[in-house]
Amino acid sequence: MRKHIIKTPIALLSLLCSQALLANEQLSDNTPRLTALTHANLMLAPGELLTDATLLIENRKIKAIIKDNDIPKDAFEIDLSGHTIYSGFIDPFTEYAIDYEREAEDKSGPVYEIKRIGGNASNGAIHSQMQWFNYVYPDKEQAKKWIDNGFTSVQSSYLDGIFRGQGVTLSLADKKANDVIYNAQTSQFMAFNKGSSVQDYPQSLMGSMALIRQTFADAKWYNQNKNKSSGKAVEFNIALERLADAKKQNFIFETKNLNNQLRAAQLLNEYELSGSLIGNGREYARLIELKSSPFSLVLPLNYPAAPEITDGDSEREVSLASLRHWERAPSNLAMVEAAEIPFALTQYGIESDKFWPRLKLALTRGLSEDAALAALTTDAAEIAGIEHLAGKLEPGFMADLVITDGNIFDEGKIVSIWLQGEERQLINRDLELLDNTYQLQLNELSFDLNLTQSPSLTGTLSSGEDTIELANLEYQQGRLTFSADLSDAGFNGISRFTLWLDNQGLTGRLLDSNNQMHPFGGITLEPIKPVDKQEKTTQAALISRLTSPNVAYGLSERPAQDKVHLKNATIWTSDSSGILENSDLIISRGKIKKIGTALKTPSGYTIIDATGKHVTAGIIDEHSHIALNGGTNEGSDAITSEVRIGDVINPDDIAIYRGLAGGVTTAQILHGSANPIGGQAQIIQLKWGDNAQQLKFEGAPASIKFALGENVKQSNWGDDFTHRFPQSRIGVKSLFSEAFNEALAYRKAQADYNKMRSSERRRTVAPQYNYRLEAVAEVLEQTRNIHIHSYVQSEILMFLRLAEAYNFKVSTFTHILEGYKVADEMAKHGAHASTFSDWWAYKFEVYDAIPQNTCLMQDKGVLTSINSDDYEMQRRLNQEAAKSMMYCGMSAEDAWKMITINPAIQLGIQEQVGSLVEGKQADVVLWDNTPLSVYAKVDSTWIAGRRYFSREQDKALQTKVTQERAALIQKVLLSDDAHKQGETPMELTEPEWHCDTHFNAWQQSAKGAL
Amino acid sequence: MFNHTLKQAIVLIGLPLSLMANAHDMLPAKAQNQAILFTNATVHTVTDGVLADSDVLVADGKIVAVGQSLSSPSSQETPQSQADEAKPNDSSLNDHSALIANAEVVDARNKHLYPGLIALDTTMGLVEVEMMRPSNDAYEVGYINPQLEATAAFNPDSEIIPTVRVNGITHAQVVPQGDGLSGQSALLSMDSWTVEDALVESNKQFHLYWPHIRWLSTDADKRKEQQQDLKLRIDKVYQAFIDGQRYRLAAKAGKVTKVDLRWQALAPLYDGNAQLFIHAQSQKQIEEAIALSKHFGFKLVIVGGYDAWRVAGALTEINAKVIYNQTLTLPKRNDEPIDLAFKIPALLKQAQVPFALAFSSDWNSRNLPFAAGQTVAYGLTKEEALKSITLDAAKMLDINDMGAIAPGFKANIILATGDILDPMQAGIESIYIDGRKIDLNNRHQQLYQKYLKR
Repeated sequence: MRKHIIKTPIALLSLLCSQALLANEQLSDNTPRLTALTHANLMLAPGELLTDATLLIENRKIKAIIKDNDIPKDAFEIDLSGHTIYSGFIDPFTEYAIDYEREAEDKSGPVYEIKRIGGNASNGAIHSQMQWFNYVYPDKEQAKKWIDNGFTSVQSSYLDGIFRGQGVTLSLADKKANDVIYNAQTSQFMAFNKGSSVQDYPQSLMGSMALIRQTFADAKWYNQNKNKSSGKAVEFNIALERLADAKKQNFIFETKNLNNQLRAAQLLNEYELSGSLIGNGREYARLIELKSSPFSLVLPLNYPAAPEITDGDSEREVSLASLRHWERAPSNLAMVEAAEIPFALTQYGIESDKFWPRLKLALTRGLSEDAALAALTTDAAEIAGIEHLAGKLEPGFMADLVITDGNIFDEGKIVSIWLQGEERQLINRDLELLDNTYQLQLNELSFDLNLTQSPSLTGTLSSGEDTIELANLEYQQGRLTFSADLSDAGFNGISRFTLWLDNQGLTGRLLDSNNQMHPFGGITLEPIKPVDKQEKTTQAALISRLTSPNVAYGLSERPAQDKVHLKNATIWTSDSSGILENSDLIISRGKIKKIGTALKTPSGYTIIDATGKHVTAGIIDEHSHIALNGGTNEGSDAITSEVRIGDVINPDDIAIYRGLAGGVTTAQILHGSANPIGGQAQIIQLKWGDNAQQLKFEGAPASIKFALGENVKQSNWGDDFTHRFPQSRIGVKSLFSEAFNEALAYRKAQADYNKMRSSERRRTVAPQYNYRLEAVAEVLEQTRNIHIHSYVQSEILMFLRLAEAYNFKVSTFTHILEGYKVADEMAKHGAHASTFSDWWAYKFEVYDAIPQNTCLMQDKGVLTSINSDDYEMQRRLNQEAAKSMMYCGMSAEDAWKMITINPAIQLGIQEQVGSLVEGKQADVVLWDNTPLSVYAKVDSTWIAGRRYFSREQDKALQTKVTQERAALIQKVLLSDDAHKQGETPMELTEPEWHCDTHFNAWQQSAKGAL
Repeated sequence: MFNHTLKQAIVLIGLPLSLMANAHDMLPAKAQNQAILFTNATVHTVTDGVLADSDVLVADGKIVAVGQSLSSPSSQETPQSQADEAKPNDSSLNDHSALIANAEVVDARNKHLYPGLIALDTTMGLVEVEMMRPSNDAYEVGYINPQLEATAAFNPDSEIIPTVRVNGITHAQVVPQGDGLSGQSALLSMDSWTVEDALVESNKQFHLYWPHIRWLSTDADKRKEQQQDLKLRIDKVYQAFIDGQRYRLAAKAGKVTKVDLRWQALAPLYDGNAQLFIHAQSQKQIEEAIALSKHFGFKLVIVGGYDAWRVAGALTEINAKVIYNQTLTLPKRNDEPIDLAFKIPALLKQAQVPFALAFSSDWNSRNLPFAAGQTVAYGLTKEEALKSITLDAAKMLDINDMGAIAPGFKANIILATGDILDPMQAGIESIYIDGRKIDLNNRHQQLYQKYLKR
């Protein structure tokens, strides 16, 4: 006995009209809603397939899984033979159904403070108090772009600002807000981009990172102190209140590129927070780093469009990095899966109709179906905070379902979606009957009936070689009518057919030209199984190499620690032993093992004959702005000591490699000079290929950038910038005094509080931790070295005296072009100097700069170095040092010290590097000529005994780069349009940073690569 | 090598002390009224290689003779192997004994003589302090300004000039900057009372900054807009030259009723009496510049020329020349060899494109000799490097009597103790412009001397 099969249009009708019916007909809807979806393949969870089973649904939820299809008698059955049921998909990163628009304030000129309203945060980019469920208003139109792809619920938030507020996870069902909210308070959403905030601060990436730190600290303090009775009053601050117990909250951090993704991970880790990182599609390039962080990923399917290659000229502008990414992007998911990093998928950033084609492309690149399904269901549910009610087919879970007519990751199409127990058919189920091939018997003849639905319904009857086209096809509810000329089969004229179709076969009648009726029957033919496509999931062969960093000249592997015997060289020790002719140097385990003449080669060591060549310590650049992202200045406030260059080191910068080729092994990456108290510096080693953390010089003392003169008083910033204090050198002094006083008072408050009895402390409001004042206090306590940008004698002297008044020593005056005028005073104070060899006249405060500055300062006892502050000059610092020989007769040995041991002393790393002394770190450069000569070229550069650069390897890399580019360009040119389409790649276009680069990271990236 | 350097350092320290006597005046030197005989020098002739132990005789601002032992009557002759072009006006190989007898003799034993260096594409004398608008006259607004003359704003008293010439730069091409046709440059001496004294007569030099997109947007729509705009700007350039041609035709026919300064200025370009200096770096720009020059029959000099070696054939076909000013820059594209900018002069040489080197700046142009030195580790010989900032630089301006130490050439001479292309060796002792020994004092020297006394 055949079971009753639901007639879809009725179901659809009831769904659409239920509200109206309620109103017109009956006050309450008391229809029992127990539904059995029988004979289906149930994908219970990724990898758990149950075939020919029943999913029992009651009202909004799954009631049971029934393996033998023995369904309760009161259940309404829908036979889903040949269908697969998946748990509905979940997109954990959307802005769906948030009915809110932040008012854009119209401001011109810099904004230093925002309007305080309703207990908000003091920074305009912090909206942690927002709880977005308050603004949920379902939107049928918007929902469609998810539902059509099989999504049934999403996590949503208003995506603006750094702290964006608490998200909400909701169903995509077309119901009122109260019915769709699954989890009203999910994760706190975050980003680095300050979004619509009109406040100037933060205008750099490192500024955003500092603001996040301070906010977490403030929140902790606020919630510990808000109810205390004595001490300073605590302002009401709902933004901080809502960040209480951050460790118990979950964070979703959006970034737009890989470096920032890792930075977000770093930052969340610092506070031991949990959550997920929104991806960027380039995860494959830093899998080890990502894997070592505890965060899951939410990955978009943003494959880049093929680079534009129209002629040789445009081709040259395309980087190997972007060619590589074009080729590899579809493999990203497979590679993330292989690295065993949990991830979910999001439609964010792409058109929704691209979602499935992109995902299928990822499957051809080796993504497993189980991982894809987990990303759409279980893992996504966890990130969206609804793992207890969605993501699996399990009793008690929401009846959010995706029903397909086959494997969704293969040829299967989504035929319907169930949202909270209510079905929405994407393909009318009864139309599926038209997909069958039927055979009907007429007068001893058998005909195959073939129907095609798109673009319009057409069909043929065929028998053997003969095919008859059908006309006037009509179909509704299993009833098919058409007319056909069957004269050859013995029915003269045009015959008219009426057929009733079902899954088993058909019954029908033919009305011939004489109006005679001929009943007939027919059967459904078994579909011909498509031949399994061969090796569908084998990884498509990729041409591009994957290197670290993943750009041209990146390395396939970290250089090994060399055991080297450099023989018979001229060795410039930068030490008391001077310049040694015909000498040897042995490198072992990252250190200089031995220096001497005619040394024996220990066994297993490589000999490099350095006859006629020169060996020096690696060059150290006291002042550089290479290898950083998102702005070298936090040029908003006059004091920004809380920002850290160390947060924004960019290991992908080709400048690292170029510096190495010039013999540079260490550089201090400084904040710019846009404000008197700038940010914290980071000393790095130019270990090309290492990641951002590995580049940092281990054990180097803390340092900070201060600045004086034209830049800090905004002399050359334009007419908008005339209000920030200070605007004159007179004001600069006062600002420093104030900052120092504040820092002292801050320390005193901390000490006073710590001295209290614990009972008193419990009652008293604690001093608020302040990253900005911490750094200034460290300066006063001499645990953080100052490198102060300065030019003219008045300001140098002013600062020396100020430092003396506050009892601290200035480590290094940097630039210091008029240092020669006050060299005695500097020497007496014990300050160092790091200057340009010959720069002058580019602005007024350098009009008295002279190239003899180095000699004058050196002669008066000021330890002097030469810095570059420039990407290009950095690779020729040897020549810059030589200019002091030319302009003022400095000795070669002293000139060489100006770029090795002297800057090492200034950076406080002279125990490790800066000279060639046994036991020191093996930062060694081999030159083909006297290193101070314009004719000298670096042969090899070692850092800690690893050879990160050699001329020979560079030559090989040049060839590789050329070949790989050519191959990838051919691939682009040969690929079809489908493989060329994609999003315009968001490449980070950042300038070469200089001291005075004004860069608003968040304006540049409105559409944003940051 | 090292010992040598130390010795030199001692010499150098001695130098400033000798200048102390005339620390403040820095007067332009008087015209040469006595012959000078440099004896026993290593002479970097540029036209005839490096001559050891040779003498150079200078009179009336010109080089009269070069050879060994000029003072002994038997051997007063210049080497026979000189190129023809190297001896214009060389009317007399006859007896210079009268000159020699009255000459001031400069003993140049163990010293080097170089021709004065010519700094192309500078803003010397137009800019004092770049960031101070009142002192910056290098740039004019507007797109078609062929009538502008750099000489109109040149300040011979610029404090920058004496700091540049101490490194051997005797002349600089001073160029007006702009966005399209920016005007006319001039070659100026680095030691003069007025711009009129400083001017070296030459054909007119027009400058065109070829349109380009500064920052190609990552946004697809914006990019389209930029490319559209670029096309318009190129059309505008063509239109200007067409209009100029109409004006020239009318002028020749005596039909001009009202003067148009722009087109009037351009006239020599159509008559073949001027060169068009097109500032262009990329291959596309350079090819476009070549197409334009071909179309109008202009004499073309590319300034910039980063990609010029890639289009060598097309350049040489129209006898175009290249002033390469990117030696001390980074590769323009991330994937290019890290040292490409250093290597390009050698690539130009290899491709047989006539070229010279420049360091386009004002104060920083004093690093021109070291930019040339930089190319030596990357493929040029030292002699070729020197030639690229002397003789070849003069040729860029169609000037044939500068940039070499050979009879008939202007007596622009550097006397140095070491290799002037290498800062660790260079030791310039004196410099002569048109036979006049110029003052090597400058602002830096003055401040140095002052604070040495503190």
